[in-house]
Order: sequence, then C-alpha cells, then structure tokens
Amino acid sequence: MASDLTIGAARPARKRSMGLGAGMLVQAWRTAEFKVGLVVFIGLMLISIFGPDLLGLSATRFDVAARFLPPMPLDGSRWPHLLGTDQLGRDLFVRSFIGLRNALVIGVTSVIGMFLVGSLVGMVAGYWSGWVSLVLMRLTDAQMSIPVIILAITILGVSRPTPASIILVLILAGWPAYARFARSATLSERRREYVKGAQILGAMDPRILFVHIAPNILPPIAFVAILDVARMMIFEAIFGFIGIGVQPPTPTFGTIIADGMKYLINAWWITTIPGLLLAISLCSINLMGGALERARNKRLQGVG
Amino acid sequence: MIFALDFFLRRLSQGIVIVVLVALLIFTLLRVVPGDPVRIMLGPMTAPSVMEATAKKLGLRDPIPVQFGRYLLQVAHGDLGHSFIRSAQGGSTGGSRGGNTFDTENRAPVVELIRSTVPYSLLLAGLGVLFSLIIAVPIGLAAGLNSSRWPYRVALYLSAVLVSLPNVWLGVVFILIFSARTGWLPAIGYQGPSYAILPALVLAVELAPVMIRAISVSVAANLLENYVAVGQVRGLSRYRMITWHVLRNASIPLLNLLGVQIVGILLGSLFVVEYIFNYPGIGLLMINAVFQRDFPIIQAVAILACTVLVCINILVDFAATNIDRRLQY
Repeated sequence: MASDLTIGAARPARKRSMGLGAGMLVQAWRTAEFKVGLVVFIGLMLISIFGPDLLGLSATRFDVAARFLPPMPLDGSRWPHLLGTDQLGRDLFVRSFIGLRNALVIGVTSVIGMFLVGSLVGMVAGYWSGWVSLVLMRLTDAQMSIPVIILAITILGVSRPTPASIILVLILAGWPAYARFARSATLSERRREYVKGAQILGAMDPRILFVHIAPNILPPIAFVAILDVARMMIFEAIFGFIGIGVQPPTPTFGTIIADGMKYLINAWWITTIPGLLLAISLCSINLMGGALERARNKRLQGVG
Repeated sequence: MIFALDFFLRRLSQGIVIVVLVALLIFTLLRVVPGDPVRIMLGPMTAPSVMEATAKKLGLRDPIPVQFGRYLLQVAHGDLGHSFIRSAQGGSTGGSRGGNTFDTENRAPVVELIRSTVPYSLLLAGLGVLFSLIIAVPIGLAAGLNSSRWPYRVALYLSAVLVSLPNVWLGVVFILIFSARTGWLPAIGYQGPSYAILPALVLAVELAPVMIRAISVSVAANLLENYVAVGQVRGLSRYRMITWHVLRNASIPLLNLLGVQIVGILLGSLFVVEYIFNYPGIGLLMINAVFQRDFPIIQAVAILACTVLVCINILVDFAATNIDRRLQY
C-alpha cells in the first residue's frame, strides 16, 4: 500500500494508472463503514494480542472448581472470567481471542497464498495466449466445479489436519477465482499503450509482465481479497466444528462452538458468545472489504 | 434447433472432460493420503493377511490408474459401486466387530444410498432458496430502486451483517432460540417436513446477502439505461416501466447468478447445515463417509456435485443466449 502511494507521488505522469490501488484506499476511507470496520478490527486485534496476557489466564488450563461460570454481568460470574468459562473451567475470553488470532493467521496466510498462486497463473495465462492459457484455464474450470467444502472435507477428513494442511487446502480451493480475475485483467491490460511501448523499447516479456503490468492489476485484486479473509475464517470455523480443523487443545472458534453445543441448555454462553465475537470480527472485515470493493467498482466505471 | 444442438454438444463434451478431471483429482487424493479404508472396515484387531486379502478383493492394491480406469467404466455403466462400510440392510458394519462378520458381498449400493438421501436435501435446499427469496427480493428491489437513498444503505449494512454470520454458529443459535428455549420448531434429525425449517432458515441467511446485492445492483444499473428515459418520454408510468421493462431486463443477470452462485453456495452450505442439524440428507451421508473412509460414497457425491454445477452452468448459459442472442457462446 505504502509503496503505491510513494510511486504515485514520485512519478506524476503515471499517476492515473499507478494510483488505482491508492485511489481505492482513499475513496474507501471516505466512507463511514470503512472507518467503523477499521476501528473495530484494530480494537479486536489489540485485545487479542494483549488481552490474554493482561488477564494472566491460560487458554488450556482446566479449573474444575470454576466450571460453567456465566459471563460477567450475570449472577454467579466471577472476575477475571469476563465471558465465563466452559465445561472444563477454561476461560472463554482468552480462548475466544486466541481462537480469533489463530483464525486470522489462517485466513490471512491462505488468502495471501491463493492470491500469489492465482495471480501468477492468471497473469501467465493472460499474457501468453495459446496452449498454456488453454490448459491453465481448463484446469481452473475443473477446479471451480468442485465445491470448496467437498474438497476440504475430503482432504482434511481423510488426512490428519494441521494448520499447514488447512492453509494448503484453502489455497487449493481458492486460487482459481484469483486466476480468473488476474487473467481477464492481464488480457485487457496487454492491449494498453504502455505495454506496446515497453515492447518497442525491447523489454522482455517477463519484465513487462511483472514489472509493468503486475503493479497495475494486482492492488485492486489484493484489496478485494480482504473479503476472502472473512470467508476463509468462516471456513476455518466450519472445519473446526466438523472436527477437521486445528485439533484441540488449541482453541479455535469451530471447536468452541461444537463443544458448547453439547451444553446448550445449561450453559448457552459457551457457544453463543465466542461465536458472536467471531461474527463481529467478520463484520468489521466485511465492512472494510465491501467499502474497498465498491470504491474499485466506482473507479473502474469512472476511469474506463 | 441446430444452434441448440451445436451448443449442447459442444458444452456437454467440455463438461464431461471437467467431470472426469474432477473425478480423477478426488480419486487420486483419496488414495494418496494416509488412512487405509480396510482397517476401518474390518476393525483394528484384524490379521494383516486378512486385511491384504480384502484389499486385493476390493481392488485397492492395484495401481491408481488401473483402479481409476475400472471405476470410470463402472460409472459409465451407471454403477457407482458399493459402500465399503454400510450393509445393504442399512446400518453400518465395521468398526470393532471383528473380521468375520464383514461381508464384502452384502454392501449397500451407492446409487441406492444417494437416491434415499437426495429428496431430503432437495426439500431443504428448496425451502432455503424460498426463504432467502422472501427475504432478499423486497429488500433488493427497494435498494435497487432507491440506490442513492436510505433503503440502499440499509440493504448494504444488512448484507454486510448477514454475510458475517458463520453458519455453524447461526445454526446453534437458532437451535437454542427456536427449539431449546421456546420449543417452537423441531431441530435435530428428521421426522417430518417441519424438521427442515430451521436448517433452511440458516441456508436462507447465507443466500440472502448474495441475492440482495445482485438484485439491487442489477435493478439500479438498468434504471440508468437509455430505455428508461425513452419510456418516460413515451409516457409510460413508472410502475409499468419498472414491472414490465426494468425487472425483465434485470432478470437476465439474476438468472445467471441464481444458477451458478446459488447452487455453488448450496452445494457447500447444505453439507455443513445438514451436519449441524443431523439432517439425513446427502451432506450428512458424505461427511460420515469421509470419517469412515468410505471411498465409493465420497467419489460418487463429489462427482454428482460437480456434474450438477457443470449442468447448471450449461443450462444458465443456454437460457442467457436464448433470451439475448447477442451473448453467443
């Protein structure tokens, strides 16, 4: 992001084409929902980084004397268990925020991975038409025809799920969409004058593709990828719920929700409150992503 | 007529290639990852020699290309194989019952298993789409027709909130509110159509934001077209303009969306929602099959899902080219 801004300022002649990413950010920043999302998101991040240590609680230590404590303002709640405790007396506040941390790490890493793989494949397929493009695109077609959940359940259910394998599965399931975006963007970008100019000046194809075209088409795709972080976090929760996510004792939203379902009548907060926290964090991400996406659509309509 | 024939031949042949590729992918993945189905079939106390004999009998020790070729031939004859685990009488064998009770001849055909679960899934999916239409159409239309005023912003925030509700959590919350606390609706299992209402509501919440967005964008974009202004000049009332022309034109992209995206989302969420509610549809069958390493069921469901997606894609494209011939293929 920062590099975009500086490049845009340093070379005013190319501001319009280089500035799409920065322009999106500026335009999104003007909307209320982007600011709200950002503030909530940063707040949650700070709590999840510092909260567990400040309270001095462990996410995995059992405390049988403090089982099923309700969340704070209710009768029978006890400091420092702000959000209550679960069936083993583990503090739900700490578990939820560490779960949030894990979900974010998995979400962000997998989106970065699918962004890199997908854009590389898409750009190559868009730049060199011919059989490379054909094969790559048929491959994406085939892969887009398998629902993510089926692919993920099959792989993770049959193998032993670890954070790395979950990220790999999400990347495997998610890259084709990015390949499509990148390919169509490269196809239209390839006809622009600056590409022809670079060719006339004798630039090699890889140089044109990665030095000239990539900075123009990737930032918009990257910003909209924020929406996918939220989707991947939901997938992570789903995997945890089914039992094919990150394995206990590491707290994740999916396992917390699945655990709490067994005690739904007696201890409704075990499932509902951590889930609400997940929903709030997803909402903050979606507000930011949505604002960026609309900013992109506006700019694309306005510019071309 | 020739156009239609040409279209379908071309697209179907592409589709078959895609389905075969997907089948190959799933087939290979299942056999490459660790986890021997024979061990689950026969239980942990089986002698290795018996396990090897059973595996050979089922053809699990042949090279993967050989197995895949045999499987494709089988599928081409309409036979999706037999479950590894479930017996033909229902109920599942295997686990710790010992090797002698396992009968390789008496296993449930996958076609039967799928046929018995698909109606439940169709009921759930249909109800889910119906609920989401009830939620999304009024909101989407209001937002699209007033794209610069408050209904649009309400729809925007509402979709952002709806899209942020994880279905696993929402399912449990719905069970808590509508079933455990109030007893209004039944939740777990299936004993009658009313058992489909709660899971369908969860599906609807997931589908609604996609629909709201598509409807509002499509209607708003059409209102800006020239023909709306021309219609006004001709003296058409706004009501007639919207109901006759705008909605009709806006429905082309919607059809596209309803086909591809909705079916895509359904094919994923249905599995999860059925699992949450223990609803006896094809998703539950699939998830249980994965835990039991019941390869034939997993393969069959994956191929089925892929075929459905490919067919929907073809039909949607065909419908689109028929409504608007400019959109060739």
